Amino acid sequence: MWKQPWGYTEGWAISIGLFITGVVLQLTTGKVDATLFQYPLNALTGGVYLFFLIMVYVVSRKAVALQWFYSLTASITSLTAWMVLVIIMGLTRQMAPSATVTHGGLLSGLGFMQMTVSWPFMLLFFYFLSVLGLVTIRKISRFCWKDTPFILNHAGLFITLLAAILGNGDLQRLRMTASLDGPEWRATDETGEMVELPLAIELKSFTIDEYPPKLLAIDNTTGKALPENNPENVLVENAPFSGCLLDWDIEVSHSLPLAACVRSIDTLNFVAFHSEGATTALMVKARNRVDGTEKSGWVSCGSFMFPYVSLPLSDSVSLVMPEREPKRFASEVTVYTKSGERADALIEVNKPLSMEGWKIYQLSYDETKGKWSRTSIFELVRDPWLPVVYIGILMMLLGSVCLFVLAPGNKQGKTAANDTKTV
Amino acid sequence: MEWSHFIYFSLPAVACWSIGAAMAYRPNKSGLVLLWTILGLAIFMAFIVGMWLSLERPPLRTMGETRLWYSFFLPVAGIITYIRWRYKWILSFSTVLSFVFICINIFKPEIHNKTLMPALQSPWFAPHVIVYMFAYAMLGAAAVVAIYLLVRSRKTAIDPNVMSLCDNLVYVGTAFLTIGMLFGALWAKEAWGHYWGWDPKETWAAATWLGNLLYIHFRLHRHTRYKAALGLLVFAFLLLQVCWFGVNYLPSAQGNSVHVYNME
Repeated sequence: MWKQPWGYTEGWAISIGLFITGVVLQLTTGKVDATLFQYPLNALTGGVYLFFLIMVYVVSRKAVALQWFYSLTASITSLTAWMVLVIIMGLTRQMAPSATVTHGGLLSGLGFMQMTVSWPFMLLFFYFLSVLGLVTIRKISRFCWKDTPFILNHAGLFITLLAAILGNGDLQRLRMTASLDGPEWRATDETGEMVELPLAIELKSFTIDEYPPKLLAIDNTTGKALPENNPENVLVENAPFSGCLLDWDIEVSHSLPLAACVRSIDTLNFVAFHSEGATTALMVKARNRVDGTEKSGWVSCGSFMFPYVSLPLSDSVSLVMPEREPKRFASEVTVYTKSGERADALIEVNKPLSMEGWKIYQLSYDETKGKWSRTSIFELVRDPWLPVVYIGILMMLLGSVCLFVLAPGNKQGKTAANDTKTV
Repeated sequence: MEWSHFIYFSLPAVACWSIGAAMAYRPNKSGLVLLWTILGLAIFMAFIVGMWLSLERPPLRTMGETRLWYSFFLPVAGIITYIRWRYKWILSFSTVLSFVFICINIFKPEIHNKTLMPALQSPWFAPHVIVYMFAYAMLGAAAVVAIYLLVRSRKTAIDPNVMSLCDNLVYVGTAFLTIGMLFGALWAKEAWGHYWGWDPKETWAAATWLGNLLYIHFRLHRHTRYKAALGLLVFAFLLLQVCWFGVNYLPSAQGNSVHVYNME
C-alpha cells in the first residue's frame, strides 16, 4: 500500500481515513456550524478552493503522486464513500439541521440524524467534490470538441454542488403572516427570530377553491374508511347524483356548497348560507342492495362554526363527508418596497412572485378557519447564488442530452449491431 | 374511461406486442415488428389519454398510475433498443416485463380520483414523472438483463455484446434519470422554495443516481470485470426500487416526505 501507482486500496484507505476523522470531529466538536459562513466569506473560500484545485493540478504534472486524484480509481472510491453516507441518510430519520437532537444514541452521536451538517458527510462530500473538480480542470486544460459532453456533465455537477454548498449560508427562508388588516413587513426565520424586510405585503383577499365533496363509509368503532385496506369513495360533482359505495346505492338530491346548519331539539336541517363559516351539505338517500334497508338525511363536513354531520347506515357503518380537498390557494396582494415601488399580484402555490431578489411563495393560511381564513402565510426566499446553480443545472441538462444521443453510438454499440447476425 | 376498462385496452396491447416480439425472431420482418409494437403502444396510449381526460388531470399521482406509464415505456424502450441494435429477444423480454406490471394494475388496482393537490398542479409535473418512468424502464430492462447474465454465467461465458447492451441501456437510463432529477429541482424551486431539500425521496434519488454513475465509471475502469459490474447494476436497481416505492414504507420517511401522496 501507498506505493506508486495507487489503486483501489489507497482510495478506500483515504475514504475511511476521512470518515474516521469526521467521526472524531463530530464527537469532539458536534455538528458543523456554518451559520457565519456568509458573503463575503463564502465567496472568498470558494475562490481560494478553486485556486487550490488548479494549483494541485498544475503541480500534479510534475508530482506523479497527485495524478491519482483525477484517476478513475479516485472517482470510483470517493463516489462510493459519499454514496454510502447518502444511503445511511436515507435509512435514518432526519431532523432539521438547526434542531438540537437529544435522542438517538449512537446514530445522533455520529451525526447521522442530521447528516447534511455532520462532519463525516462534509469531509467525504468535499473529497468527492475535489476529485470531481480536478477531473474537470484536467479535461478543460486539454480541451477538444469531442470532450464537450464530458465537460458539460462534470463541470455542470461541480458548479451546481459548489454553488449550492457555498450559497447555503446566504440562503434566507423567512415566514410572514399577512392579514387583511394592513401591510406587514416583519417575518420570522427558522429559529423564530423576527426579521424586518425591505418590502411589505398587504393581503387584499385570500381564496381557496375546493374539489367537489366526497362521500365515504367509515367503521363506527375504528373511524377508518372502508374497505379497510383500499377505501372507496364517491365524488359528488353536482346534484342530483347517483352512485354506489360498498353495498349501498347512493342518491344525492340536494347539494348546498355553502350551507348553515339549523338545529332544533329533534330536527336537523341545512339552508343556503353565503357568508363566513359556511360549510358544505348533501341530502343523501342510501339503499342497501342486499337487504333493501333505506336511510336518508343530511351529510356535512362541518366548519369552524357548524358541526360535522354523518348518516348512520347501520350499527357498524356510517356515511361521512371528509373535509373538502383544496384545489387552489390564492392570495391577492399588494407589495410595497422601500424604494417606493408598488405591485399588485396574485400569489398561488407553484406561482411565486419575484420582487427585488425575493421570491414570495404561498405557504399556508389560518387552518382553523379553512377557506374563511383572514390571514395568509407566505414564505420569502432569497438565494443570491441561484443563477450560478442554474448555470450548472443547464450544463448538466445539455450533458444528459449528449449522453443519450451520443453514448449509445459508441464503438461497442456498433460492433454489437454487426455481431448480432452471428448471435 | 375508468380503471374497469383497463383490461380491454391492456390485453389487446399485450397481444400486439407479443406478435411483434415473435416477428423479431423471423428474418427480414423488422417492418412488421415495428408496426405491431406501435399498434400495441397506440392502443395502450388510448387508455392513458382516456384516463387523462376523464380524470381532468395527468394520471401520474398514484403508484398505480405510475405503473401505467412504466408498462407503456417498457415496450418503447424495447423497440428503440431493437431498432438501434437488433437484439431479437429484447421485445419478448420487454413485453413480459410490461405484462407483469399490467397484471399488478388489473389484480390490485388502487383508488383513483380526480383530486390533485395544488403543489402538483404544475407544468413540471408531467415531464418530471414521465421522464423518470422512462428512465426506470431503461434501468429495469438493464437490471433484468444483468440478473439473467449473472445466473447464466455459471454455465456459459458472458457475451461482451450483451455487456455493451447493458452499458447502452444504463447510459440512456442515467441520462433520463438526470433530466428527471433536474426537472424536479427546477419545479421544487417554484413550488417549495428550494431546488433540493433532502426529502427522503430526493435522498434515495441521489443514491440511485450515484449508484448508476458508479456502474458507468467502473465499466470504464475495469472493462472486463463483468460480474462485478453486473452486481453493481443490480445494486443500483435495488436503490431505485427503494426510491420508487420503498420510501412509502420506510420508517425513516414516514410523515416527512412531500413525495407521498397516495396515502389517504
